[in-house]
Amino acid sequence: MNQLIQSLVDAISAGAVLGLAALAIGLVFGVIRLANFATGEIITAAAYSLILTWDLGWYISIPISIIVAVLISLLMELAVFSRMRNHGPATLLIASFGLSFLLQRVYELIFGNNVRTAPIASGLAQSVDIGGIRVQMLSVTTIVLAAVLLIALQLFLTKTSLGLQLKAAAADFKTARLVGIPAGRVIGLSFALSGILAAAVAFVLTVQSGAVGPSFGVRITILALVGAVIGGIDKISGSLAGGFLVGFATSMLASWLPQEMTNFKDAFVFVLVIAVLLFKPSGLLIKGRGVVRT
Amino acid sequence: MSTADTRQGLHVENLEVAYNGVPAVRGISFEVNAGEAIGLIGPNGAGKSSTLLAIMGATPRTGVVTVHGHDISGLAPEKVVRTGLALVPEGRHVFTELSVMDNLRLGAVARRDKSTYKSALEHVLDLFPILRDFGHRHAGLLSGGQQQQLAIGRALMSDPDILMLDEPSLGLSPTAVDTVFEALDVVRKAGKAVLIVEQRAEFTIAFSDRTYVLHDGVITLSLKPEDADNVEVLTEAYFG
Repeated sequence: MNQLIQSLVDAISAGAVLGLAALAIGLVFGVIRLANFATGEIITAAAYSLILTWDLGWYISIPISIIVAVLISLLMELAVFSRMRNHGPATLLIASFGLSFLLQRVYELIFGNNVRTAPIASGLAQSVDIGGIRVQMLSVTTIVLAAVLLIALQLFLTKTSLGLQLKAAAADFKTARLVGIPAGRVIGLSFALSGILAAAVAFVLTVQSGAVGPSFGVRITILALVGAVIGGIDKISGSLAGGFLVGFATSMLASWLPQEMTNFKDAFVFVLVIAVLLFKPSGLLIKGRGVVRT
Repeated sequence: MSTADTRQGLHVENLEVAYNGVPAVRGISFEVNAGEAIGLIGPNGAGKSSTLLAIMGATPRTGVVTVHGHDISGLAPEKVVRTGLALVPEGRHVFTELSVMDNLRLGAVARRDKSTYKSALEHVLDLFPILRDFGHRHAGLLSGGQQQQLAIGRALMSDPDILMLDEPSLGLSPTAVDTVFEALDVVRKAGKAVLIVEQRAEFTIAFSDRTYVLHDGVITLSLKPEDADNVEVLTEAYFG
């Protein structure tokens, strides 16, 4: 029983991280139809910032990593994607692949091929006893962090004019512009929020691993992208739910698959993905088969 | 067109729109002045919606479009709204996952005078009382007619001088159409200009001060309200 609860907490935590990463992708996709594969490199940049500045104290290091993530995210939009505004989602996706590879090489040039390490928030690596059940502090912290971020995001999207504008633009960008919502403002905002979410993901992953290399953010971005698609990348909530589902399933499979099969946990997740795409190609949270937007 | 142009209202001169080299609108010109309603009718594919989208800057075009004498060529749709133009798009396109009030709030983003937001909101809610009753309901839960009222209310929240509507009667019951056009009459009498694109010829001709007939992207006829019952004129308008 204890093992089940422990693995559930871990799975919720894994789902929360992947949910945040998928949300970072979904927010931008909602506005400009860009499934930004280079979100991984925003995560990597934030992780490098944490590792390299951790000695200065967490209260300096964490804000620096958030600022770096937001700046890299905005720079991507300004330098690359803003110049491709009239291109379709496929072209934008390919461009983001290119940008991802380019940034990985840039990180390699600057920081080298070897991983950089630092004991990020090492206290979170310990286990705590909650009602007789031992759970990882990091899992609890991750769940709390994700909950706080989601509540803050929800409040922002529903209670502020800027948030409403972003929500409207994510639902129907063309109409939002016809209503008078400035395109540049909401696009910039979506990239900035994506950067903040990427920084949160980077924090959790860096605490987990204590090390960062040039391709640090790639795996989670692939899984997050998959999650966003199966949840319904057309909707912000769809991306979040899909990311959570993939993270949760991956973690539960890692806990409960027989030892000799755990290496195949991703394969099992992708079988689930194929099944969803076959029967609900628009995503689990999208009613009907979804709407093709131009 | 220089900024010294002192004409008021909307002036469209030699407007052309093409999609992948295929012309949709071929050099049309017309004007809409304060307090008047202008209709644009014609069969499917005549270029009516393209005309409105081109005026809004939502589709590439050539020609000159001025609002109160200011050339709005090259402006993005969100900037065109700030010159005093508003479009109620075909199919209404309300934000279905947001509440009625949030939709109206978004309409006010482009208001030039933010201090009059509350009185503008009251005006819209008086014009369409159903929106007051359903203020906190998700827009997606409204009927087609109610959504059309919301779409018009949202456009009015930007305080436009010129209100453009694309097929406002599409898919609505006769009662809902009456409600919409009664509201548009109030808007017109308040001194705003109204430009309506419609398929329903008789209705539009009777309502509008002038109605232009579009055929293959060209204005072929100009009709007056008294032509609404003239079968010959209507046949000419639609079948050439």
